[in-house]
Amino acid sequence: MEIRIEGLCKHYVSEGKTVKALDHVDLTIPANEIFTLLGPSGCGKTTLLRCIVGLETPDDGEISIGGEIVWSRAKGIAVPTEKRGLGMVFQTYAIWPHMSVFDNIAYPLQIRGDRKEAIREKVARALQFVQLEGVEQRSATRLSGGQQQRVALARALVAEPKVILFDEPLSNLDAKLREETRKELRRFMGELNITAIYVTHDRVEALALSDTIAVMRSGHIVEKGSPQQIYFDAEHRFVADFIGRANQVEAVVSENLNGLTMVQTGMGLIQCRKRDLAVGSKATLCIRPEFIRITSRDHSEGQNVMQGTIESLEFVGEVYEADIVVGQERLLARIEPDVKLRQGEQVSFTLDPEYCMLLSV
Amino acid sequence: MNQTRPALTWSLIAIVGFLTLCPVLMLLLGSFSQGLTAFGSFTLSKYVSAYTDPFLMEVTFNTVVFVLGSSIFSTVLAVFLAYLNTRTNIPFKPAFTVLSIVPMMIPHLLFSVSWALLLNPSNGLINLVLKDFLGLETAPFNIYSLWGMILVEGLLNMPIAYLIIAPAMASFDVSLEESSRVFGAGVWRTLMRVTLPVLRPAILAAFVLGIVRSLASYAVPRVLGMPGRVDVLATYLYEMISTGFAPDYGKAAALGMSVLSASIALIVVYRALTSESGKFVTISSRGFKPTVIELKRARTPLFIIVALLCLLMIVLPVAVLLYTSFTPYSMVPSARAFSMMSWKNWVEVLNDPVSVLALKNSLLLAVVGATLGVLLSLFVAYVIVKIRTRAAALLESLSFLSFSFPGIVIGIGFMWFFVQTPLYSTLTALLLAYIAAYLPYGIRPLASAFVQVHSHLEESSLVCGASPMTTMRRVIVPLLIPGVVSAWILMATMFVRELTVSVVLSRPGTEVLAVQILSFADDGLWGKLSALGIIMIIISTALVLLAQYAGNRLKMQQST
Repeated sequence: MEIRIEGLCKHYVSEGKTVKALDHVDLTIPANEIFTLLGPSGCGKTTLLRCIVGLETPDDGEISIGGEIVWSRAKGIAVPTEKRGLGMVFQTYAIWPHMSVFDNIAYPLQIRGDRKEAIREKVARALQFVQLEGVEQRSATRLSGGQQQRVALARALVAEPKVILFDEPLSNLDAKLREETRKELRRFMGELNITAIYVTHDRVEALALSDTIAVMRSGHIVEKGSPQQIYFDAEHRFVADFIGRANQVEAVVSENLNGLTMVQTGMGLIQCRKRDLAVGSKATLCIRPEFIRITSRDHSEGQNVMQGTIESLEFVGEVYEADIVVGQERLLARIEPDVKLRQGEQVSFTLDPEYCMLLSV
Repeated sequence: MNQTRPALTWSLIAIVGFLTLCPVLMLLLGSFSQGLTAFGSFTLSKYVSAYTDPFLMEVTFNTVVFVLGSSIFSTVLAVFLAYLNTRTNIPFKPAFTVLSIVPMMIPHLLFSVSWALLLNPSNGLINLVLKDFLGLETAPFNIYSLWGMILVEGLLNMPIAYLIIAPAMASFDVSLEESSRVFGAGVWRTLMRVTLPVLRPAILAAFVLGIVRSLASYAVPRVLGMPGRVDVLATYLYEMISTGFAPDYGKAAALGMSVLSASIALIVVYRALTSESGKFVTISSRGFKPTVIELKRARTPLFIIVALLCLLMIVLPVAVLLYTSFTPYSMVPSARAFSMMSWKNWVEVLNDPVSVLALKNSLLLAVVGATLGVLLSLFVAYVIVKIRTRAAALLESLSFLSFSFPGIVIGIGFMWFFVQTPLYSTLTALLLAYIAAYLPYGIRPLASAFVQVHSHLEESSLVCGASPMTTMRRVIVPLLIPGVVSAWILMATMFVRELTVSVVLSRPGTEVLAVQILSFADDGLWGKLSALGIIMIIISTALVLLAQYAGNRLKMQQST
């Protein structure tokens, strides 16, 4: 079910200052997709989610879910949360401690007034789906964090809602469990064919789970696109920087040639992925550390070959992280551990033009 | 630090054990004895006469109605107020804090008296006003009834219930409610199916504590029940040891055993409930502030209810006492009444040798008792918090036990003891009984103070090269001072107003304030009573305000 948001505004007053949590947000979330709102804390992503679900009242704008307007200031419509027919997984899971696992999951059906047999059947199916059979009668708080998370998911799914919302559902799990649960969630969502809105500040989660990512900053949607688009072909410096580590180099466009854009930088002339920028305009060259390839010293053929000095070298497990000084610039590079290098050494490396992104300043 | 300090622990067990178990043991032995002077000669006759008394049925029935009624009233009221304060946008929130400390300032005895002055059927001020105003033949309200007792006791116990329920509600994870809303339940259904059930341990704990306190309550039944011949167990027990010329301490002890067992059982339930409330703790939310429920149109009516409650609990009681202390006899406030006002009652009270003696005794008991009590509590709290042996656990249970003791029963137990010693009818007897009955009030704030002195703080001082004595002086004592101050003031406040133990143990020459006030009430000297009562309220209020001031100042000193 498609969700349309138009001109949504919400502000808070905290310590005498007005904070714009949402500043005229326009957004269309396509049906049957996993749509992620990504951004640093305080960017308004959770506020947006809570406005959609109805736990927060916007100041202005309009929200419609599947063609039905659920909130509109102009038209004076405000459908209460409980009438919106959504499912949600909370950051704290919000498992009711005084109820068994069965009662927790059955709650949406009991409220709706389903028949007992139908409830039992649907709860059993939901538990089977999240692979938690046999714990129905246990007290929900006796379960582990990962299991509680699955109960929360089963509860969100059991009434077959039009839309399911996730508010940082993995942030309370430890690193290893988070990775496993993320993969499971990916599989569950793949099987379901449902519209899902997922809020997170974790870029890896966003990249791994989403069909579409919208990156937010201070109440605005900065950029929207597939994970690959956002990672490899972002248009804004902020997005490129937030979605992964990136070296950012000031550049001036010098010419467009053979489907590539040439820029002049402090490291010399560099060939980049084509972007329509006027010759002479300023831009930012963005190079991800993993695309800096060390080559043997005498090898100097091909595109974008450069020389630099290793200023510092840090072993972080799977790779070395090196600071390489080239001309006036300093680049962060990830170097395979089998490459033998030492601090202070001269190195040659290449930059694949396909992964040299140009961003408008 | 792995210190066990068995010598300290066991000597404390001996002292606290004596203080708490002596009255219980003497009560038990006394209940099987012929009488105070024939202690030790075994008989079952006291049990037979106590439990076959035909009047007991009625007393028990009254007690059950009184205890349950007032506990339900205070718990419901506390839930309502706590919800308004923590979860809604009701205005003037500081009023709730004031409401919760009122009973600290206005002693139960005076609160009851003030309600008798307002609503008694013959010349209660509100009744007189309503009779004039509506042209009624008879008084519309009669406070000298079971309903009156339930109302006043419920109001008095509400703040204690509030102090248990409000923090539980404030730390409640709001997403539990939000998820219920998302899954289709409205505000009311969410309240009934999620909010209240999750808070059940706290609500039950408040309810059980209300039962314990109203079962032990003596002031309210004495002032409001006895004029209307409504007896509950506390007043019935007192009548046994005071009526006429044949007090029967054996029979009182025999019946007291049941009241004591019931109280101990209830306090065990209470402790189980408060430790269980930890079970319902889930992963707590970080980040989102709790949504405040907009009251909209209900805001003003609800606020009026709270304001009315403040009026009933603070303004009216103090106002009526002040008014009565200046008027020669009961009369409706009018120009004539104000013209007749004088300091006569005050002058008489301050020239009355018994009242002055009572004032002196109470102040002496408060200062000496609180000092000794805090000193003992300091050591007990240290052992309970810092030494984790089985003996320390025993000490903890022992020291908590007296929390459940009804004052009348414990007074009777001590009576059996003191009569056998030269301490009978001395201030020392009262002092010992006070400390025994109120020890938990000293231990609690000190135990939480010791919890704050994390052993790392101590250890890091030692590592820095300070000797144990220097560590004590520079680190531990400064951290403990706020706890010591608040424990001292809490105990002193309790002792200034003490009624239930004193009423049994006080004899001519050892009168205390509350007992003197009660004897004014028995003689119908309301003007003098009010004057002495206001003095008592001023002392308590001054102590409470001093505690708040000292607490704030020490907090500020520590933060700079």
